Order: sequence, then structure tokens, then C-alpha cells
Amino acid sequence: MKHLFWPALLAALLAGCSGAPSKDALIEDRGVKAEPAKPQEAAKPADAAKAAEAKAAELKAADAKAAESKAAEARKAEAAKVQTQALTSAVTEVKPLQTGAATGAVQTHNAAASPLRDPNNPLSKRRLQYDYDSAAIKEEYGAILEAHAKYLKGNKAANVILQGHADERGSREYNLALGQRRSEGVSKALQLLGVPDAQVEAVSLGEEKPLAEGNEEAAWRQNRRVEILYQGE
Amino acid sequence: MAATLSRLAPMPRFLLSLLLLLLASAAQAAMTIEIIGGAARKIPVAVLPFSMAQPGWLNPADVVTSDLSRSGYFRLLDTRDAGPLDDPRNVPLPAWKGKGADAVVLGQVLPAANGKVEVRFWLLDAVRQTSLLAMAYTTTPAGLRIAAHRVADAVHEKLLGEPGPYSGRIAYILKRGGRYELQVADADSQNAVTVVSSPEPIISPAWSPDGARLAYVSFEDRKPVVYVQSLADGTRKAVARFRGSNSAPAWSPDGKRLAVALSKDETSQIYLIDLASGVAARFTRGGALDTEPVFSPDGQWLYFTSDRGGSPQIYRAALAGGEIKRVTFEGDYNVSPDLSPDGKTLAFVHRRDGRFLVATKDLASGQTQVLTDTTHDESPSFAANGRMILYATLVGGRGVLATVSVDGRVKQRLTQSGDLREPAWGR
Repeated sequence: MKHLFWPALLAALLAGCSGAPSKDALIEDRGVKAEPAKPQEAAKPADAAKAAEAKAAELKAADAKAAESKAAEARKAEAAKVQTQALTSAVTEVKPLQTGAATGAVQTHNAAASPLRDPNNPLSKRRLQYDYDSAAIKEEYGAILEAHAKYLKGNKAANVILQGHADERGSREYNLALGQRRSEGVSKALQLLGVPDAQVEAVSLGEEKPLAEGNEEAAWRQNRRVEILYQGE
Repeated sequence: MAATLSRLAPMPRFLLSLLLLLLASAAQAAMTIEIIGGAARKIPVAVLPFSMAQPGWLNPADVVTSDLSRSGYFRLLDTRDAGPLDDPRNVPLPAWKGKGADAVVLGQVLPAANGKVEVRFWLLDAVRQTSLLAMAYTTTPAGLRIAAHRVADAVHEKLLGEPGPYSGRIAYILKRGGRYELQVADADSQNAVTVVSSPEPIISPAWSPDGARLAYVSFEDRKPVVYVQSLADGTRKAVARFRGSNSAPAWSPDGKRLAVALSKDETSQIYLIDLASGVAARFTRGGALDTEPVFSPDGQWLYFTSDRGGSPQIYRAALAGGEIKRVTFEGDYNVSPDLSPDGKTLAFVHRRDGRFLVATKDLASGQTQVLTDTTHDESPSFAANGRMILYATLVGGRGVLATVSVDGRVKQRLTQSGDLREPAWGR
């Protein structure tokens, strides 16, 4: 049964992913127009009638703008408050996040005790990598997912968080959504292997936590991934 | 602290800034602004030094000159030898016309009641020899910089017929020293203040319509969570911390709702969160990725990115419900929508030949225009005046912020030590 299961699962997941063919854009670069506005023209409809001498009168007229000035004043006071507050107390310090990339540094003294950290156990394999614009799980990860599914079914208290990642190209928020699709693909695979939904949370870190820095495919390939983290790690 | 000090004592703001700069480490270096291109015909303007009742105060003329010069629409004449004048009748307009000036700005700063100051200024037409504008603002000595930005806004509007962008504020993320800082600064990148500092990524800052709060996405809790933070006191609240990912906040024009992307029920769908009750109502359905929502300024429509058609494109849906319509068609990657304040123009990121470029679409005519010639543009955000777009891009592998005018002619770049990204222009 198992031999049939994986190709079927992969086919199902692949079917859900559409590769987008690259096409050239049809956008027109418009020519730029001459700048129309000049002070002379601006003067015409405005207040050509007003004489330059009317200093006091005009300032009174400008006082009709008093309401605006008051509003401006309120905004200024508010802006000043923001700066003051922010400079003194508004900095919100937050605690560090442990990511999959950091698991190697976590509690190494337990390495012998837990199968999750035994390098000879497939459970220690926590990373799945992906092709460009794809959330399809590669066949090579089948054994790893089966090992995690078996462990989770046998350890009902264990929970995993699946962190999806994307490479850096394009919109950060769209990449967050792409990473989510990847982590949910792994979540669905685990559920199909019998893991209860409650033990798995699929999330995405988008392009924000790359494994490799660099603006080329070698780095991007490493960064398109899902990391499996057990609770407490 | 700086603001407090300069408010208590009429201390020169620029001196204080200078002092802070000297005290600060290299990592504190202020942003620098580089102008790339400009309008074909720049309006020549002479900004005379303002007459100052107290010599220590910031002279607004310096800020006005810097603002107008940076915009790319004005050519500032040398006024170093011109003495301050506080009476428009005494301005030798023919002489300024002879030096090539189309317009002259003069002004004065006077003490007002309760320790405040009054900034008066006049804008004169040197060609017709008439007055175009006379206005007064009351502020505190510490508020002189902000008042000066408003003078620049008024001059810009009078001469170009559209509101100036100088008194707005921007928010962005600065990554430096392994930390992520959400900063708020004046539109000229001065007065930058860190409002959140975290060892983990922060993305997608969004200004509330009244400018008093910022929504953003923080990764401090092993996954993306949406927060709303008050700028006045720095307090914040997690408004979307559902199972799965929570991201892409956008404010409704009335400031009462946030549109967000949540994965609590299905891969990245759009929800509307009522901020008073905290209830999240699902807005989009179907297995596609839906994200990056943004409200139209009239509150009638929601624009968002979706791959429901096979590639990421921008769609529009009526908030009242109804048919969802595709808006972008050119190419196979159009994302990150933002709407101009008049709701007539869509800005977005368009991929062409592997490059990510800022483009606009006139929603009435459907006409699309690519505005930039860089390669990794992200997060376009309209200025409140609707004439400039702020975005993030990469230069030499480093994140910088840049602005481009909606006609594509005037470009500026804001750089700082460290990576800048995810800019948002306050409304």
C-alpha cells in the first residue's frame, strides 16, 4: 500500500500547483509631457488682484486660516508627543525567535536521549526544499515525512510547527503566502498519513529568514524550504 | 529626549540635531538623499533667509530651500548675500527677476503668546511683481521644522497647483546590527524615531488614516502576527494572532477595520477585522492565495493580490459583496497594490524580464506605465499629495528607499547605513 501511496499523494499535490509560464509584458512606457505649471499661470486664477503692499491686511486674511493653523498646531503637538514618547519609552523590546535554522544549537545535551535529534534517525531531518514557484513535495522526502507522522501518532503530546519559506524575489507578502502554501502542503501530507490536525500548525516566514544570503539561484534554492520544528525547540 | 529638551528651552533644533549626530555612533548616521533626474523645466525660486526675532531658532528658509530643491521641480537661487526681509514691499523684485527668479519667498519668525512663535511668510511673483500668498502658522520653537515643511507645502501648491508632499511622515523598516527597527521619520527622512526594535523580522507597516497608529507584522513569536501600535504612548495589541499566518494589514478609510491575510481556515485568505470587537470576518474564498489587501479611499472597494488565475495578479472586489474582477493583465506577475488618494490610480510591482518594477495603472483608461528602471522594487506607497510614490529597492545589494513622481521624471533615493525596506507614506 505504501508504495502506491506516495506517488498518489505527490500527484495530488502537484495537481494543485500551477506553474506560471513567463511571458513578456505588454506595458507601454509613455512619453513624458512638458511641465505645465509656472508661477505666472498660477498667479492668474489665484489672487492677481491682491497687491503686494497689503501686508497687514493679508495677514489678517491669513488669520482666516486660523482654524487651519490651530489644526496644524494640534498636529504639531501630537507629532512632538510621538517623538518624545517614542524616544523615551515607545521602543518595544521583544524576545528572540527560534527558527529551524537554529535547532542545531538547541539543548545538545539531549541529543542522545531523543530520537528527534539522533543524526541516524530520519526524525532529525527537518528540512524540505522546493523548486521555483512550486509547493510540490519532492519524492525524496517521503521517508522523512512518514517517520515524523509515525512519531507524532505515537506521541500525542508532541506538536510541530511547519515554517514555510520562499526565496527573496518579489513581494514580501506574496512570498509569505507562497511559504504558507508550502507548509500547508506538508501539513496535508502529515494528515493524510494519519496525524491529527491539532498536532500540526502550518505557518510561513516568507522570505524573511533565508538560510543563504545571495542574489542567485544557488542561494534561492536553499531558501525555498519548509522547516519542521517540534514544540519546545 | 531631544524633543523634550528643545521644547522646554528655545534651543536651536538644528544645533541639537548636530549634537546628537556627533554623539551617535556610525550606525546612527542620518539618511542621505540623492536626487536622480528632475523636471525638464524647473521653476526658479529665491528663498530669502527669514527674519528671526531670536537668533538661536531654526531658520525655516533652510528647510524650505532643502524641501523645494529636493523635489526636482524647483531650482533654488543663491540667496546667501540677501539679507532677511520682513516686508514684501521692500523686496527688490526687478533685481530678483534679473537674476532669473520666477518667485521669491520671504518670511519672519516672531515670538507669540505662551512661549510660542509665529511663522509668517509671503510668496511673491517676481515676473508680474505681485503677491501670490501670505500666511502665518503658530507653533513652538521645536515645531519650526514642521512649520517650515508646511511653508514648503504651501509654496509648492501655489506654484504647481497640487499639494506639496513635504510635511508628511514615513514609516519603514531598518535592518542593522542584526536587529529590525520600525522607524517613523519626516518625509525628508529627518527626525527618525525607532518605535519598535526586534531581533526578528518586521514587515508591512501601515498607517492608520489619522496617523496616530501603525499596524505591522512581527515574527517575534515563531510566526507572523499582526499588531496595532499607538504612536502616542508606544502601547500595542496583537489584533490577529490566529492559528497559522497573520499578515498584510490595511486600514479602512474610517480607521475602524483592518483587512488582513489569514491562513486560519485555508491558505492565505482575506479577512476583515473589526478593531472594536476583534472579530475577523472572512472576505475571500477558494483555494487560491489571496493577500496584500488595500481599501479604495472611498471605502467601497478592496484591491488585493491573488493567484486565482494561475499567476499573481491584482483583483478588485466590492466590500458590499459581488463579483471579483481582475484589474491587471500585463505579464505574469503584478503584486503589492496601493491606491492614489483620489482612488484613480493604482500603483503596483510589475515583473518584466525578471526585473521587479514600480508601475501605475490609470483605472479609468486602463493605461499602464512603468516608472522605474531598477530591478528589485517592492512596496510602492503613494504620498498624501498623490504625486509621488515611495518604494523600496536594492542598490549594490543593499536596501534603499526611493521616490518617483507619478510621471516618472523625478527620482530620489534615501540611503542609510543598514538595510531600508517596507516603506509606507503616512496619509
